[in-house]
Amino acid sequence: MTVVAEANDPRQKVGNRRTKKGDGVAAWVLITPLLILFAISIVYPLIETIRLSFYDIRGVAAPKFFGITNYLRLFQDANFRHSMLATLQWTLASTFFAVAIGWMLAMLCSLAPKRTLPFRVMIFAAYGVAEAVSGFMWLGIYRPDAAGLLNVVLQTLGLSSQPHPWLGDANTAMPAVIAAYVWTQVGLPLMMCFASIQSIPTSLREAAYVDGASPMRMLRYIVMPLSMPGVRVATFITLLSSLKAFDLIYMLTAGGPVRSTETVGYFMYRESMQNFKLGYGAAATVVLLVAVLIVSVPAIIQRTGEAK
Amino acid sequence: MINKSVANWVTIIVGSIALLWMIPLVGVVVTSLRPLTQTTLGWWNPDDFSLTLDAWTTVWTKYPLLDAFWVSVKIAGLSTLIPVILAPMAAYAFQFLKFRFRRVLLILIINAFVLPNQVVVIPLFRLWRELGMIDNIWAVIIPFAGMSFAWAVYLVKNYLEDFPKELIEAAMVDGCGPIARFFHVVLPNSITPIAAVAILQFLWTWNGLLLPVVFLRSDIPLTALLARIQGQYESNWDQMSVAAIVTTVVPLVIFVVFQRFFTAGASTKSGSKE
Repeated sequence: MTVVAEANDPRQKVGNRRTKKGDGVAAWVLITPLLILFAISIVYPLIETIRLSFYDIRGVAAPKFFGITNYLRLFQDANFRHSMLATLQWTLASTFFAVAIGWMLAMLCSLAPKRTLPFRVMIFAAYGVAEAVSGFMWLGIYRPDAAGLLNVVLQTLGLSSQPHPWLGDANTAMPAVIAAYVWTQVGLPLMMCFASIQSIPTSLREAAYVDGASPMRMLRYIVMPLSMPGVRVATFITLLSSLKAFDLIYMLTAGGPVRSTETVGYFMYRESMQNFKLGYGAAATVVLLVAVLIVSVPAIIQRTGEAK
Repeated sequence: MINKSVANWVTIIVGSIALLWMIPLVGVVVTSLRPLTQTTLGWWNPDDFSLTLDAWTTVWTKYPLLDAFWVSVKIAGLSTLIPVILAPMAAYAFQFLKFRFRRVLLILIINAFVLPNQVVVIPLFRLWRELGMIDNIWAVIIPFAGMSFAWAVYLVKNYLEDFPKELIEAAMVDGCGPIARFFHVVLPNSITPIAAVAILQFLWTWNGLLLPVVFLRSDIPLTALLARIQGQYESNWDQMSVAAIVTTVVPLVIFVVFQRFFTAGASTKSGSKE
């Protein structure tokens, strides 16, 4: 109370004007170390990648200026167009399932927060596993022969009689890799949504309880709308991590079969690291970046605008 | 507050999902404990079941697992420490101080989150080679820290948007300068998002594979060692499993110990029994 009173005190306005001057200097003192590291590890490589995308670079030969030829070739390359589609599919599906499952679990857990603690830790554990390690784990589950765990389960349940090569079939490879990726990711939205739910004032839930609301109605009308801040942050982080995902695809399918799981991230890797066409790979990177920026800039400007 | 039968059902449902979630992890543990000959038809194969610690004893002498462990600790520790100090400082400046280019810099930094790791690899590799920093762990730590700023600043700033303004104004009245306000008022009250940044950054840098593989040669962390073992041999799944477990143990312990920060305030605020 006294704090509020002081904030309205005219003396504070004077102090405010006096300290404002130092704000600019202080701000630069606080952000300069970050900006230096940021410039070395983000700004410089980004500019360099854009520069390289206008050059023809093959192996150790001297780079040759290429104009926009890399870009023209890229858009005529059916493999690249396909990798853009695969990226869209991969990103949307994995983000949707990871956040939806995580949010649902978080709401369920909020009904019994103490008892479900060990289970939340167990599910989050998958998030702590390196993608390289989880790829190794899922290889055993997707084994194409009759000893693959998924094939064993389906056969035991009588759902299929033939062992299916999950990662070897162009129709099932993408869903299979997405499932494995969702397995690794769910823990993060679960934890973030749960934390968001826990910050809902208890008085609201108690009031609903006193009014005789059932647990389902309470979830629908109180927990669901009020946990949106957590859901938004979780969606943002999951969406952008899935765009960068590489290790898991590398471990499970290496982009195959017939490039069905080749995302733009993998396309870049193959063109620049395996085919040694650095300029071409850089051009693919730039196209992906532009596409991502078009999607994300409005959302971020809106967010930074709110923070006026 | 919520009746017992609902709590019981929730526990059963979430518990079964959690058990299902553990299957891949259990698989690796079982693979590491059974003789290789038994697991060629899958670790779940119940025929001829026996346990052995062979893989656990041989893997240490065969691979430099301890050295790699120490490299992982150094890389993940330093890559976490830097953003834990710098990101809250910047988030505070962006949220509460007025300065030129504030919005442009903020948009630039947060947007960097969309940058895939692959983008920085080739230009940085050329730069490090130029500076003779290949095989130096700072070659990995600097980009790890640099790439974390986007989401770390976003996360802390997101939290500071709800930070009680009265506290800052009160400090102003008391004559606290902008930097002192950060260290005395904002920092001590922002442990929740900072802990979240630390935990996530530690997990991500501990598990990172691409940068260590490209920038390091002899002092490699666990993930890169695992990839190397996998590349060299075809069928030693039991030893690979041990390496996979050693790689996974630290982030898991860190999380189990610090997970309460994710739900910080929950137990004190809610007051519900279950």
